[in-house]
Amino acid sequence: MPSDDISVKPSWADEVDEFDLLPLETFTDENGIKTIIEIKTNDDGKKVKVTRKIKKTLITEYVNKAAAERKKWVKFGDERGKKVGPDLSTTSIGEQIYLKLSSTGKQHTENVEDHDASKKKQLLLGKKILCRMCKGDHFTTKCPYKDTLQPLEELSTALQETTKETQPSTEPIQADSSTTGKYVPPGMRIGSTKPSGDSYKERRDDSTIRVTNLSEDTTDSDIHELFCRFGSISRVYLARDRETNVCKGFAFVSFALRDDASKALQAINGYGYDNLILRVEWAKSST
Amino acid sequence: MRPILLQGHTRSLTQIKYNREGDLLFSVSKDQIVNAWYSHNGERLGTYNGHVGAIWSVDVNSMSTLLITGSADNSAKLWNIQTGKCLHTWEFKTAVKRVAFSEDDTMALAVTEQRMGYPGTIVILSINSDIEAQQSDEPITIIRPEGPKAMVADWGNINKYIITGHEDGSIALYNWKDGEKLNSIHPHTGEITDLQVSEDRTYFITASKDKSAQIFESNTLMPLKKYVTDAPLNSASITPIQEFVILGGGQDAMQVTTTTMRQGKFECRFWHRILEEEVGRVKGHFGPINTIAVHPDGKSFSSGGEDGYVRVHHFDNDYFKFKYPELS
Repeated sequence: MPSDDISVKPSWADEVDEFDLLPLETFTDENGIKTIIEIKTNDDGKKVKVTRKIKKTLITEYVNKAAAERKKWVKFGDERGKKVGPDLSTTSIGEQIYLKLSSTGKQHTENVEDHDASKKKQLLLGKKILCRMCKGDHFTTKCPYKDTLQPLEELSTALQETTKETQPSTEPIQADSSTTGKYVPPGMRIGSTKPSGDSYKERRDDSTIRVTNLSEDTTDSDIHELFCRFGSISRVYLARDRETNVCKGFAFVSFALRDDASKALQAINGYGYDNLILRVEWAKSST
Repeated sequence: MRPILLQGHTRSLTQIKYNREGDLLFSVSKDQIVNAWYSHNGERLGTYNGHVGAIWSVDVNSMSTLLITGSADNSAKLWNIQTGKCLHTWEFKTAVKRVAFSEDDTMALAVTEQRMGYPGTIVILSINSDIEAQQSDEPITIIRPEGPKAMVADWGNINKYIITGHEDGSIALYNWKDGEKLNSIHPHTGEITDLQVSEDRTYFITASKDKSAQIFESNTLMPLKKYVTDAPLNSASITPIQEFVILGGGQDAMQVTTTTMRQGKFECRFWHRILEEEVGRVKGHFGPINTIAVHPDGKSFSSGGEDGYVRVHHFDNDYFKFKYPELS
């Protein structure tokens, strides 16, 4: 019989219908919380119960009478005849940004750095930090010759003797580097008005840490949450895949103060997060 | 906070302004369009079409019925805010760089550019607040400042004086009735790019290309505060609720390609108004910030940049809870 055939071989459309027909319960309790209980079949073919609770709150905002009146105005000009509500072609929502207010502004940071300079040096001495550039007792990123010696790795050893004797003066060495044939942007060339932001930029660079071994579903705000306890964060960059927009597994976090960054580095390195053990290190300068 | 991005312009922004209640935001740009937006959700209410040159300045009257714009097409136009209709056009010899309504809406000033042999002037126009009425073409008076040209101007409190900011960084106070210069100071070393008055117009803030912003008393031009930053400033605004000022600027657009993005300093900087210390920054623009406006209730602010975007920021709760540690 033809009807038997149909029951044996249900079409794919019927199959889909079957899923939708699984029991769906909705009820609203006395507090106005709506509960939706669904039973779905997941990708593995297993049945799962999904309970969703929705609470709707009506927030009444009081606005000026004239302003309320203006909300009813008809659109005009290029917007004439368009429907009410923001148009996606002209209005969009930007990425989450943070305004961290603190008294340790830019000027303050400088002061703090000055005060802590001697203390820091002692700390560094104890740790036997050796600069890869000039073999001085500071971080490589802090090296006064960082910009000039980096491209001339071989030269650095030769120059080392002379630079140790003379007080650090960057100008003559800079002149050397310009003759090596490496492209120097016009704004950076000697003789051009040196942008005042140089020192500022360096400071930003050396208070940046790189976090690796992050799980795929980490978001910017996760990173922010994880690190904000150590101090004021000036930037969070989470590398994402261009197509899928999932985290690529690493992120850069810039702190306002280097001390905060090193605190974070020590605390979070090796910290278990999302079943993975995070690895934190100083970010290498991009220049 | 998640800013709302307004993409209504194809060229760089020149000025943005809230109306008195703050529900509407007006933006003008070099692309010859005036846009009106609802500030709470970023919905575009409409556009005012008619200018045939870059628009430099915009102002709205206190009843939110009339809008005045000044443009490089050598004209200032008066618009009906609700319908987008142009009500009147004043023609000048040169571009109109700045417009501002007086406190009682009965007058407006227009700063005209010094160019092509014509001296820069400040023209006081008579405004009839009735939308239906015919506007007078004849200006009430014309002030002809001597020396470096005026870039910005606004009214002092109770319409008594006019404050002008000049190309060389000087500020002058004029009695607009007879055009007499009452006082003049030279506090900035660079061009004055913005001048915004406080709510009661008793003090005002200037932004300058010399990387600083300063607050002065309106009637005496007495310097009150100074904020020194590391980038040329294009705009400065005073915030209610929290005692801050918001400064915006950045490297000149023509300089941008010679350096990295980070050196551009395209951030809105928050400075403590009293203590003259930086307290925070908001980034987002890809180019210099040309104009900043703060919502009159102090709960949000907007910035317009060389990149053609207006970004509307509604402050998070943290912002209102912030107390300066050394003051509490």
